[in-house]
Amino acid sequence: MRYYETLYIINPDLADDAYREVVAKMNALIEREKGVSIRVEEWGKRTLAYEVKKFDKGSYVLLQYCGESGIVEELKREMTLDDRVIKYQTIKLSDHADPEALKAAGEGNKGGPVEADKTTDEERRADDEVEDGIQ
Amino acid sequence: MAYNRDRDRDGGDDKTRGSKNKFRRTYHRRKVCKFCADSSLVIDYKDIKNIRYFTTERGKITPCRISGNCAKHQRMLALAIKRARNIALLPYTTSIVN
Repeated sequence: MRYYETLYIINPDLADDAYREVVAKMNALIEREKGVSIRVEEWGKRTLAYEVKKFDKGSYVLLQYCGESGIVEELKREMTLDDRVIKYQTIKLSDHADPEALKAAGEGNKGGPVEADKTTDEERRADDEVEDGIQ
Repeated sequence: MAYNRDRDRDGGDDKTRGSKNKFRRTYHRRKVCKFCADSSLVIDYKDIKNIRYFTTERGKITPCRISGNCAKHQRMLALAIKRARNIALLPYTTSIVN
C-alpha cells in the first residue's frame, strides 16, 4: 500500500457543523475507497500566505492515509467538486507502507512530524556516518 | 543603501586592480550544511518555521552559496518550499501581502 498525505484548506466562513461535515466526508471517502486513515490533524484557522479564491484565511486539515492510487483520484475529484474546499495538495510519502506499523509509530510520537519514508532513514544513517568522520 | 553598495563595489574594484592589495585574501567562513550537521532535523514542508529561515524577505529561496546547504539538502529544501507555497503556507512573493 502507498502512503499519502493530503493537506486541504476549507472555507473559513463555514459554520462549525458545515466544517465538521466536510472533514467527516473526506474521512468517510478514505474508508469507502478501502484506505486506512493513519492520522487526521485539524490545524484550525490560519492566515493564508496569499489570497486563494478571495479568501485570506482558511481552515487547514491534514490527512495521512494508506491506500492505492485510486484513492487520490477520488479525493481530488471530490475536492474539486466541493466548493467548500478552497485548495488541496496530495503528496506521496512512500510507495510501500505497512498501515499497522505506521499507526503504531504515529501513536508513539504524536505531534511530531511523521515522515516514515525509507529515504529519510537512509539519509539519517549517512549523516551519522559523516558526523562521526568529523569528530 | 544603494550609495553604500556602490561605494563598496568601487572599493572592491580598486583593491583588485590596485597594486597595494594585489594578493588580497578573501576570508571565507566555511559554511556547514545545517541538515548534515544535525541529522535530527527533518525537512518538512509543513514545518514553515524552520523553512522560512531559508527564504529571503521577498519570499525567494536562499541560494546554497549563501545558506551553506549541501546540494542534496538544498534540493530537498527547495522542494519543501515549493510545496509550502503551493498550499499557501509560504508566499510566492510578498509584494501584495503586507
